[in-house]
Parts: sequence; C-alpha cells; structure tokens
Amino acid sequence: MSQGVAVKIGVPPVNRLFSVHYIGNVIPFTADFPARKDRRTMYGVHIVLFWLSFAAYGAEAGLQLGGISPKSPYRSALFGGLLIHGLFLAVRWMLSGHAPMAGLFESLTVFSFCSAFSAFLLCGTKETMTAWKILSVLVVLPQAGAALIDKRLTPLYPALDTPWFATHVGLSFLGYGLFAAGLALSWSYLRNGGDELYRAAGRSALYGFSAFSAGMVCGGIWAFYAWGSYWIWTPKEIWSVVLWVYFAALTHLKFLPVGGGWPGWGKRLEMKATAAGYFVMLATFLGVSLLLRSSHSF
Amino acid sequence: MMRAVWRFLTSLTTYAWVGLGFCLAGAVGSALLGQYPEIFSDMDAEVLAGWFARKGFLAPGPTAWLYGLLLATALLAGNAACCTFERLVQIFRGEVTLRRLLPHVMHLAFLGVVLSHLVSSVYGDKIPGLAVPEGGFVPVGQTGWVLALSRLDVEMAPEGYPREFSAEVALYREMTPVAKGMVRTNEPLFHEGYGVYLKNFGPTPWGARYAVFDANRDPGAVPILVSSVLFTMANLFYLVTSGRKDA
Repeated sequence: MSQGVAVKIGVPPVNRLFSVHYIGNVIPFTADFPARKDRRTMYGVHIVLFWLSFAAYGAEAGLQLGGISPKSPYRSALFGGLLIHGLFLAVRWMLSGHAPMAGLFESLTVFSFCSAFSAFLLCGTKETMTAWKILSVLVVLPQAGAALIDKRLTPLYPALDTPWFATHVGLSFLGYGLFAAGLALSWSYLRNGGDELYRAAGRSALYGFSAFSAGMVCGGIWAFYAWGSYWIWTPKEIWSVVLWVYFAALTHLKFLPVGGGWPGWGKRLEMKATAAGYFVMLATFLGVSLLLRSSHSF
Repeated sequence: MMRAVWRFLTSLTTYAWVGLGFCLAGAVGSALLGQYPEIFSDMDAEVLAGWFARKGFLAPGPTAWLYGLLLATALLAGNAACCTFERLVQIFRGEVTLRRLLPHVMHLAFLGVVLSHLVSSVYGDKIPGLAVPEGGFVPVGQTGWVLALSRLDVEMAPEGYPREFSAEVALYREMTPVAKGMVRTNEPLFHEGYGVYLKNFGPTPWGARYAVFDANRDPGAVPILVSSVLFTMANLFYLVTSGRKDA
C-alpha cells in the first residue's frame, strides 16, 4: 500500500459522497503498488508465496487424483502448501494493515486456506484421509479462482479497523472450510462406507456450525458498533441465517430415529444432506455476492 | 388433541420441516429483495414492525416470503421452547449432567435472541439520514434532542479514499447539552439508549462540510448480545465435553 503522506482536509477531493454505510458500498479500490522499496520487495515475496502455495495445493490434488496418497498428513504437499499459504496471509496482513479477508481475492484465498486447515482438523487418520481426494480439489479450486483475479492490496478502510472484522470473517471462513471437509468426508462415506468417516462428517457439520455461529455473533457486534444495527435485510444476511438454520437442523436430525418421521431418513441421507450443505454455503458465500445485489460483500 | 399438538411442537421432524421451510422462504426472499426495490429498499430505515405494517399488507404477494419467514421463526422458537421444557423435566427427574443440559442452554439462548429481536422490531427506533452542516444542528426525530456538529475531520489517503474521519458532536435538550463526544466509524456516541452513528460526509453545494448521522435505539441489542454469548459459550462447552468420539 502506498505510504504517501495523507493530508488533512475538510472536503474530499472529489465532489461526491463517500458512502461508508457498508463495506460493500465503499468505492471498490485497490491501493497502488507499494511505494517503498522494502515493502515492494515484501509485496513481491508474498505474491511468490501465493503461487507456491497454489502449486503445492495443485500438486496434492494431482497426486490424489492420480491415486497417490501421502503416508502421513504432515508429510504431504497439502501441509507444505498450508504452511506457505499461512506465511503468505501473514505477510499480506502486515502489508495491508488489516486481516486479509476483504474483497473477492482475499476471500477466495482465505476460503482455500481454511479448507486446507480443515483437512488437518478432521481428516488425519488413515480412513478419513480417503476424503483428501475430494478435499484437495476443494482446496485448489478457490485458490485457482483467486489466482485469476486482481491481487493488489486493498486499503485499510475505517470500518475494517476493528478486531471484530478479523474475528467475524475468520470464524465464518473457518466454518466454510469445515463444511468443505464435510462434503469430502460425506462423499467418501457414500462411496466407501465406514463408521469413522461418518463420525468425522458429523463433526464437520457440528464444528462448522459452531465456528459459523461464533462468526455471526462477532459480525453482529461489529455491525452494531459500526452501522447501528446488528441486523440488516440484505441477501447476504438472509442467506447467513439460512445456512445457520440448515446446519442447526442437520445437527439435530442426527438424533432422529432411522425411518422415524422423515421419509427415508438414515445415515446415507444424513451424509447427502451434509454434502449438500457445502452448496448452501457456496450460495451464501459466492452466489449471493456474485448473483444478487447485496451491500454486504463476501 | 392437546397431546397431538404437544407432540407436533416437541418433534424433531417438525423442526426439520420448519427449518426447510425457513430456508426456502429465505432463499425466495433474498431474490425478491432486489426484484422489488420499491417495496424493500426502505426496509432498514425503520423498525420491522413499522415497515411491515405499511408494506406487508399493501403488497402481500411480494412479501409472502416474509410471512413465511416469521411463521417459521415462531414455530422454530416454539419447538425449541417445548423441547427444552420437556427435556429439562426429564433431566431433572434423572441424572443431571452438564453434557445433557448444554443443548438446552443453547435453546434458551436462541429463544433469548428471537424474543429480544422481537422487542427491537417493535419498540426500537431508527432515525436515519440526519444531515448536519459543520457548525449547524438538526432535531433528532421525536426524541426532543438537537444534534449539533462542532467539527468534522476527514483524513484522505492520496489514493482518494477516506482513511479516517471523525465528528465532534453534542446532543442538546432545551438549550442544555446532555451528551457530547467524538463519533467515528465503529465508535458511536451512546445516550439514553440511542446510538448516534456517523454514516456519511461530503461537501454542500456551497462548499461547506457536512456529515450524515443515524440515531438508533435498539432495546433488544444488549439481551441479544448476552444470549448470543451464552449460546457461544454453551456451544463451546458442548464441543469440549463431546470430545472426538460422539460428535
């Protein structure tokens, strides 16, 4: 981000209002290439880190699709990619001055990071690692999407200058990542069966729901202090509650007896519902932001 | 009959169907928000009850999803309340453990959120778009206050976006200052249940500066915060006590 000296002035230099009502309303803007040489170097390094993590994720997905699995989760290209990706995010945070979770590029790459992280939270045993074949693809796809779009730093808008921003978005994306693991685990269960896969998929829904709930609480607190209301009627907010209710129902239905009141209910239908939750999450994360007009971006 | 109603209200199947209905109503509504801006664009400008009284009956077709959403929310709340009542009676007759209680603490917290939101939706107040020129003042809705803007500081980045902005404001009642302070993004001024939020700024046609404020009263906000934190804590304890085996 440019380090030029900001000037204190009374009237904005352009003759229009700067709406700060919601982040999404702020004029889309990316900061120029960093002016100082040391920051330019850091900027270049962090872009290299991004591509390296992308390559590592791509290698893992390629190996998995080719039928080659690592012996241990920590001796895998995915783990290497996760470490490099973490470093990339840390450097970007330092350069931009805010958590790297604003705008489409940062949202996609954080989503990819959280999906990779969920592999180590939920898919660390021999049986659950069968889900890596799907999960590695779910990790590399958003990173590939991020690779295609503008990577310039976004400035530190005043509304982002609060810890609630990082906690709200971070916890929400952690939930999204766990839902990605849920799709991979439930898919593996549907193909291979196995009690361990079933339990891990159940944990993905429960942990993802918990992280997402906590993210919603943080978002409500942030919105109350920044914009005067913990709730606004936008497609993003509505879909967030839809996603919350969906996974709340899913975690409850685990206790429904097989065939008891819900047509065809059983482990397989529960796993299909867990897998479908990923697409409800995608509709909330990307569908709403890209297809519907919402002042709440990503 | 009463037994059938109770079974319906405490049933997980009811919860599942109503949850599905909630999701469908929300999905439809999210699409209709943009389709009917003439109906929905001012939805956040006043509390829901006031808006719904004006628009809900005028345009029942495009707002049908909202009826569905409200009905589903009421049923979900009723389901959680009845389920918790029934289970707590069973739990306290048998072995009481934290693990068995925690889901019902979460249910009660959820009910706290829904009821507090209902209170805010009826008894809250929203006064949007209070445009005040620097050195000037405006009345704040029906509160009897006057909002005065003494100074507006705007720090612009060279790239042209506002890096920091703040407004020095005071609230007066009958010529007497009752509250004063600096308002920034993420830092409103609170007074007697109202929050004064800096939302916008710009130049007047004659070059002077002005700022735009919202003043909101949200009586459910604190109970919602307490309920949400309770929900999160109970959820966290539930995860800790469930361990890795039986989640």
